[in-house]
This record gives sequence, C-alpha cells and structure tokens, in this order.
Amino acid sequence: MSVENTDFREESLDLKNPFDVKLVSEFLSNLGFDYITDDVDYSMILYNLNDELIGTGSYKGRVLKYVAVAPKFREGAAFAQIVTHLIDIVIQKHNHIFVYTKPANLVVFKGLGFTEIATAEPLFSVLEFGYENIRSYQDYLRSIKRDVHVGHIAAVVVNCNPFTMGHKYLIEKACRENRVVYLFVVEENRSSFSFSTRWRLIKEELGHIDNLVMVKGGDYVVSGTIFPAYFLKKEKKSDIAACQAELDVIAFMRYIVPILNINRRYVGTEMYSPVTLAYNKAMIKHLPPNGVELIVIPRITCGSKDNYISAYKVRQAIREDKLDTVIDFLPTSTRRYLLSEDSAHVRAKIKSKVTRH
Amino acid sequence: MTPKFKAQAGTFESSDIMVLIEPVDEGTGRQVDLSSTVMLQFEEDIKATINQVLDAMNVGHVHLIAKDKGALTPTIKARVETAIKRSLGIQEGTL
Repeated sequence: MSVENTDFREESLDLKNPFDVKLVSEFLSNLGFDYITDDVDYSMILYNLNDELIGTGSYKGRVLKYVAVAPKFREGAAFAQIVTHLIDIVIQKHNHIFVYTKPANLVVFKGLGFTEIATAEPLFSVLEFGYENIRSYQDYLRSIKRDVHVGHIAAVVVNCNPFTMGHKYLIEKACRENRVVYLFVVEENRSSFSFSTRWRLIKEELGHIDNLVMVKGGDYVVSGTIFPAYFLKKEKKSDIAACQAELDVIAFMRYIVPILNINRRYVGTEMYSPVTLAYNKAMIKHLPPNGVELIVIPRITCGSKDNYISAYKVRQAIREDKLDTVIDFLPTSTRRYLLSEDSAHVRAKIKSKVTRH
Repeated sequence: MTPKFKAQAGTFESSDIMVLIEPVDEGTGRQVDLSSTVMLQFEEDIKATINQVLDAMNVGHVHLIAKDKGALTPTIKARVETAIKRSLGIQEGTL
C-alpha cells in the first residue's frame, strides 16, 4: 500500500454551484441520505487519483453532518481524513463539536476520539469532541452546587421564551415544596428572546428566593442543537422527536442528576407542542425508574377557565400587536421589558417570521 | 512560555495523534487529557513523552487534549511541538 495521504484529493464544494451540489446529492442519495444545501454551511468531497468520488462530509455550525464514504473505500483512511478536514475548520470557531449518528456507527466515531454522550436506540447517538466536554459542564455544576444532603432537591428546566406567570407559578411552587431548586435555563439561542434576556428577566423576578439556584443549561439541557432529520427520512417525524427527547433525558439522568443529587423534577402539562409532549413522555419512561420523582403541575389559567397561560400565546400576541390581551400573563419584569424600547428589536423579529419558537 | 491561541496538529488517521492546545490563565498549570487506542499499554509512556516536550519548550500552563491512534514516539513529539508552536504563533512554513 502506498502512502495514504497521496491517495486522496480533498476539494471544497461551491454550494452555489448546481453541478457541485448535484454531484454530492447524487452520491449521497445512493447511500440513503437526503442532501439539503440549506442544512450545511460547508461541504467537502474526497476523490482518489482516478477521480472517483470516494466520500464527502459537511458541517453546519458546530455539528458535523453527511459524513459518508462509498462502501468499497471504507477500509481505508478516507473517513478519518474527511473528519480531520472538517474538524480543522470547525475547531477554529467553536470549542465544542457534535456529531449525531446511528448507533451502528458509534464505534467509528469513538475510534476517532469522539466521546459518546448518550444513545437513544434505535435511531440516534450523539457524540462530542473538543476543548470543552461534559466534564467541564459537570465542574460548573459542582461550582454552583448547594451542600444539601437531606430533603427534596428538585430540578426545573425552562426556556422562558418569554418568562410568564405560568413559569413563575411553577418555580415558586417548587421552591415552597423543596429544600433546593435548581432552575436550568436553556442556553441555546434558537428562541426569539436571547439567553441573556431570558436569564435577566427570571433573575429580576425570582432572584430573591433563597433556595433557588439558577443554572445555565449549557449544551446538555434540551440541546435540540440541530435536528439530524436528514438521514432519517424513512422514519416518522414523531419517532425522531421521541428519540431526540430521550437523548436529552438520558443525558440529564446520567450527567446532571448524580452531581446535584436531584430527586425530583417538575414539569408543566403540555397543551399544544408535540415536541414537549414527546419530552414529557421520555421523562415518564426514564426518570421514575432511576429514582427521580416526576411531578407534573397543571398549567394555571388567567381569567376564564380555558385561558391557559402560555409563552406561545404571548409571542402570538406580540406578532399580532395585541400585547394588552396577554398583559396579565406577564410578571413585572417581562411586562416592563416588553413595554420598553429595549425589546423593540425582539418584537420586530417575532413579527417578521412565523416560527413556533 | 504561555500559549496564546487555540491550535491543533495531527490527524485522526491510524498511527497518528491529534493534539489540541487551548490557552489557559497563567497559574492554572498543565492539564493533559489523553485518550488512546492503546491506553492500557502506553498511557504513561505517551503522557511522559508529551510532558517531556512541554518541559523542553518551557510550557507550564496549558490545556492539552490528545487523541491518539497508536502514534510512535517521534510522531507524538512532532505533533505536540507543532501544536505548541502554532499556539505561540511561532510556527513557520506550514498552514
């Protein structure tokens, strides 16, 4: 065998060039992938010296995607070379790289030094690589941990997009019923309200509560990161959501619960969102058998019996410029923020696009 | 000397080692995170080699991550040295 590196030629793909895109999408469709250019920031292809297409790889943000090698070249170093090429680029910008893959391919990525975070059979595994890892997050948790050994220690996970009376009620109730409450605020900035805004509004309203500890969600709490739906076109959307939720719950169980000695988790009932519903189902499956009591709190209403408080309704109202109809849903901090000029750009953003978040 | 930039050297290929350098605050000390396919047999040897290079280059405070796939000692030395030089901004002739 000759020197491995000279066997291959790497080429970056011009995503605006339809011929390049066609080349890769044809290659990938033979392997069962559905290549969508909007789904990637960058793609590369690997040729051998006979100009045969051997493999390809892409990334979006800090998630590697569409890493595939043609079957007859799988014994060589092509796969390692593709991943090295991608990591070289991604690590410049991000400290932390993720891969979603099928559990069957887990071992291939592990062999390259990736670390498994969690697996939800039969669809997904998620792995990480980089300067930061789950240990850094656990160190952070240890640094904010309250030294309590007896009594109920509860966790509440919130996105608060935006913070409403419903959240406030749930958190305050948890604080009354437990020695310590760890409030995980989802850090990912895929919501209309930025993480720093969400964090600040909660802190203003609830910062005075003694046994409440606010925790940054990091990359492990509800890190819907970027849905790897592309290689699962045969599977139902609901199955994917269920597995995604399961990954999050497993990671929570495995890495967070033991550090903070959590033995209760509070959630609100879910009315409209199938994703959150799947999440709650996954919690019922995994939490109680592992010694974490799941406490479901019915949503509170405002005024009439059916008028449930929901952050979704608040965003809806902002979109339709009818903030006054939901003003009673909002605690002082959020109300003040939404009525002030500070939130002008956020309101404009919500109005300009129709998304669920 | 204290690394100034994030840097890396090496590949994921067999018989190579991927070395990542992350700058840390002065006074934090050395943190070497190693994973290897031959961890059981050579963990101590590889760590000793890495530390030897760090000593030689007088690097006291650094976070170094190494993903080894069975690299030989000279390879390890070369990769660590290159990664450190890149992180100091003194590597010439590559990149």
